[in-house]
Amino acid sequence: MGLEERRDEEPDVYQPAEDSHLLAEATCERLEGDELVLEVGTGSGYVAGRIADRTDARVIASDLNPHAVRQARGAGVETVRADLVSPFRDATFDAVAFNPPYLPTDPENEWDDWMEHALSGGEDGRAVIDPFLERVGRVLASDGVVYLLVSSLTGVDEVVEEAGEHGFSAVAVADESFPFETLTVLELLR
Amino acid sequence: MNESLLDILCCPLDKHDLELEDAEYDDDDVVGGDLVCTECGEAYPIEDGIPNLLPPDMREETPA
Repeated sequence: MGLEERRDEEPDVYQPAEDSHLLAEATCERLEGDELVLEVGTGSGYVAGRIADRTDARVIASDLNPHAVRQARGAGVETVRADLVSPFRDATFDAVAFNPPYLPTDPENEWDDWMEHALSGGEDGRAVIDPFLERVGRVLASDGVVYLLVSSLTGVDEVVEEAGEHGFSAVAVADESFPFETLTVLELLR
Repeated sequence: MNESLLDILCCPLDKHDLELEDAEYDDDDVVGGDLVCTECGEAYPIEDGIPNLLPPDMREETPA
């Protein structure tokens, strides 16, 4: 089934696109063994499923959206309905991957459905990224790593700076350019 | 959900441990029941095998 057909089938769930693919591949390449991995905002479950298939890691996927967690579980992914990392124990995950909602959106144009939640990062594009960066450190193991997808539309420098505020240093480990944006996967380490 | 998830999950409000109550199983898979906080007593439902660990004030938020 092609991506277009799947989009039609699940209108309430963000379906895998170029950003999902870039995050999945970058994360798979950098995992080494039987890590415990969390994917936040899994949507269709594509990224979590790729990591589980291609590596020996155990992958847990979370999403706020009830339609998304059902689709991800249907795809064979271990799934939890959650707000970011709030129901996960301290110092638990070796890696956390996140393809966040990142499109800067005019508040006048917010359309308030599940797809908007999956895409919109509020006025500056960082309405979800910033609280994620504030909270993710709690659930990371001491040498844990974050893989965060960021778009040039959101501002990579601003995200790197915010990550720094929470004790992370950032390295770009993958990027891909498109006509209207460049996508970057940041590896965040403490 | 796999029961071993209990070692990974905690109460989203106070981060204390959760206990599985009234579990319904399909083979090894926990498909129903509640995850109950050992500290504050808040119960989080397992819906079609997926634990709903949203804080109670977010549980009813369904934009569409």
